[in-house]
Amino acid sequence: MELVKPSRSLVVYSAPNLHPWTHPRATLADNSSNSKTPLLLQLQLHRRATATATNHNHNHNHNNHTAPQKPKLSSLSAADLRSEFAHHDPAVARINNGSFGSCPATIIAAQHRWHLRFIQQPDDFYFNVLQSSILRSRTLIKDLINADHVEEVSIVDNATTAAAIVFQQTAWAFAEGRFNKGDATVMLHYAYGAVKKSVQAYISRAGGRVIEVQLPFPVRSNDEIICEFRKALEQGKSDGHKVRLAVIDHITSMPSVVIPVKELVKICREEGVDRVFVDAAHAIGCTEVDMKEIGADVYTSNLHKWFFCPPSVAFLYCRKSDETLDLHHPVVSHEYGNGLAIESGWIGTRDYSAQLVVPEVLEFVNRFEGGIEGIRKRNHEKVVEMGEMLMKAWGTNLGSPPKMCSSMVMVGLPVCLGILSDSDALKLRTHLRDCFGIEVPIYYRAH
Amino acid sequence: MSHFTKQGLSPFKTKRGFLNLHYRFSFPCIFSPSKRGIDTHASRHLDQKPLISDAELRFEFAHHDPAVARVNNGSFGSCPASIIAAQQRWQLQVLRQPDDFYLNRLRPGILHTRTVIKGLINAGDVDEISIVDNATTAAAIVLQQAGWAFAEGRFNQGDAAVMFCHAYGAVKKSVEAYFSRAGGRVIEVQYPFPISSKYEIISEFQKVLEKARSDGHKVRLALIDHITSMPSVVIPVKELVEICRNEDVDQIFVDAAHAMGCTKVDMQEIGADYYTSNLHKWFFCPPSVSFLYCRKSETLPDLHHPTVSHEYGNGLPIESSWIGTRDYSAQLVVPEVVEFVSRFEGGIEGIRKRNHEKVVEMGQMLVKAWGTNLGSPPEMCSSMAMVGLPACLGISSDWDGLKLRTHLRECFVIEVHIYYREPEDGEVNPVTGYARISHQVYNTIDDYCKLRDAVNKLVNDGFTCGLLSN
Repeated sequence: MELVKPSRSLVVYSAPNLHPWTHPRATLADNSSNSKTPLLLQLQLHRRATATATNHNHNHNHNNHTAPQKPKLSSLSAADLRSEFAHHDPAVARINNGSFGSCPATIIAAQHRWHLRFIQQPDDFYFNVLQSSILRSRTLIKDLINADHVEEVSIVDNATTAAAIVFQQTAWAFAEGRFNKGDATVMLHYAYGAVKKSVQAYISRAGGRVIEVQLPFPVRSNDEIICEFRKALEQGKSDGHKVRLAVIDHITSMPSVVIPVKELVKICREEGVDRVFVDAAHAIGCTEVDMKEIGADVYTSNLHKWFFCPPSVAFLYCRKSDETLDLHHPVVSHEYGNGLAIESGWIGTRDYSAQLVVPEVLEFVNRFEGGIEGIRKRNHEKVVEMGEMLMKAWGTNLGSPPKMCSSMVMVGLPVCLGILSDSDALKLRTHLRDCFGIEVPIYYRAH
Repeated sequence: MSHFTKQGLSPFKTKRGFLNLHYRFSFPCIFSPSKRGIDTHASRHLDQKPLISDAELRFEFAHHDPAVARVNNGSFGSCPASIIAAQQRWQLQVLRQPDDFYLNRLRPGILHTRTVIKGLINAGDVDEISIVDNATTAAAIVLQQAGWAFAEGRFNQGDAAVMFCHAYGAVKKSVEAYFSRAGGRVIEVQYPFPISSKYEIISEFQKVLEKARSDGHKVRLALIDHITSMPSVVIPVKELVEICRNEDVDQIFVDAAHAMGCTKVDMQEIGADYYTSNLHKWFFCPPSVSFLYCRKSETLPDLHHPTVSHEYGNGLPIESSWIGTRDYSAQLVVPEVVEFVSRFEGGIEGIRKRNHEKVVEMGQMLVKAWGTNLGSPPEMCSSMAMVGLPACLGISSDWDGLKLRTHLRECFVIEVHIYYREPEDGEVNPVTGYARISHQVYNTIDDYCKLRDAVNKLVNDGFTCGLLSN
């Protein structure tokens, strides 16, 4: 991919993965500012995205995953698909699935049914239904992500909670003298804002040193990332300190890039990093997620972003090892000490229904050709295609090569828009929402 | 005034209207804006809406399993159908256009809830009110801060936390996970159960603090229940907070999980530093939502939500209003709930009073039927009462209590929480099991008659817990 002179700011464009697709029309060149006809991509039906019944194998055998064997439901027609997302505001060009995800109507209905069951007879639900249902979700997730043991899989609200769980354990290690003041935590400069704050709130506060891996952006290849990562590890080990924790994004949020986690985990092992935590908030349903392949100690991903669960549910995978990691949920209940998965299964009275619909979601995705893998692949192809179309139309560039894109892509905006700060980017985003009916996050790239 | 009808309607309903009163208290003082300084939104609606009818009330709770005698509102609470509908409307708004919702509507919605709560609990400033999932989360917030205090040298190893022996299990574990782990000492206050008066609690509490002082243990934190869970008793929090102040306790945290809608809740009256109550137990909110009140003070430390987001450092209310993508809808329906309770005579105060009167009445009915006793005098009951179970049932452990509860659920379709009380040495034929009965607006006398008859049947059949398999 040839990089043109990078523009100042880039837009994240994420595939509206379930809209019927078309080949874009030339009308896209018409940058009409008519607020009544927002700059929508005029899309026709893309044959591949409609799940026609071919010999599709939804057991993912090629990935060594074992999806649950269930009788196949009928494929989703175009009309079915539209009705599944009919609750989305039809006036909005919703190309920001990455921020808050999306949830089909069928799943919302399933969630309501679970919720109703609880309020119908909550005591009976608590004693007889909740834990077995959470276990069922955990088991399905274990298979999806190629984990070995269901004890390795805990369910939490979101990746932000998962990060707090990991970092709190690190803080205790400092407080209890297992880590020395000045021992390092390495994280990417483009780590998610909440995760950076969490590192500050727990690790810096407890005496840990934080080293950020500076990454170039736009980025051309994995090697650029790997090289900077090695440098950061060296810095962490200086003055006789240890690198206690590496926090690696699987897919960064802003700017969005797929990080070569497998290679970085290997480097961490070679360099004697104590623990590797992969923050993969976007990953499941958006890139390949295989715990044995990646080899991290701890890995978290949201299921409500790209895996059609309602807000909110995430898993936290913690690899079984001889050295117990002793992670605890920060909201302590009577289950304290029974292992993170059990602790997370009861953190006081609340609505657990989003955690219980994972089986229904699997049924839903299996109505698409190729299941979640098929959806993911087509989203990726489409978002790259759309990104290239926009790039050509605007005379800009993509932020990374296609193979470093997931179901999201960074598309350069024309320099003449004059985006000179984070605040400008936010204002432009608001302007696009309010005046054009378009939802798209804008990233400001500082020089 | 007889409140019982043969048709099995709620005891508070007569054929004529909601309450068989000679006159109406339309606007009890709790809703007087001048006395409480609360949002007039609630009082305006008191003026306009008719009181809820029988049929409407039944409809509001029609989703409850009709076969179940549901006398355990205390554990998981209850939520009317119109509030669930309101919650779903909020959820749909989010799903429709989440970016717009989270950027433009969530924060004002939560601020509205916080403002309403501030008025309800007589807090001084809306900045003192944070919304969290439940009292368990609130406890973790307070205790995590204590853990940091040890780690950062503000507390010394061996400094103490004081709590009741009957404190909630999760809170005890939280104390272990944060306070003990960090090097603190935990001192439990014992008090007898059954209990005869609040002075038994006050004197034990005083003794413990005095002993801590004489032993040279600095008491950094007092954890006081407002209404204990099991066994359920109303604790004289105001008096205990005063004792804490006299004894120079650093921080006073009142765990009032049940209190809101179940007893009087007034921050100025009680005077604690931290106070938390669930709104989904007795205040008709859906699961789950609770508030954590933190008294504005120069000396109290900053609290933080353990799930750290980009709002870290902006104060607990703001931190708690964004802890990552999740469903905040239960936190947004508090204004609708205030409207709902205003449709009852006397609003939430009226509901609370009637629940209390009814549960005491039902408790006394059961005590007579079974030949046992209440666990506390009526003035120490809230909307829950502990009713002694016949000794011959042979409840001899916590496990027996749970087995009996399961048996009542499965064979008699009754939901009631059972408490096991270890007998004292020398007690003859002790009452070791107590049923914790609750009364909420949806209960009828039939629920308690069913419980009465079930236990009588067990007794007549010669049942003992030993007969139940594990």
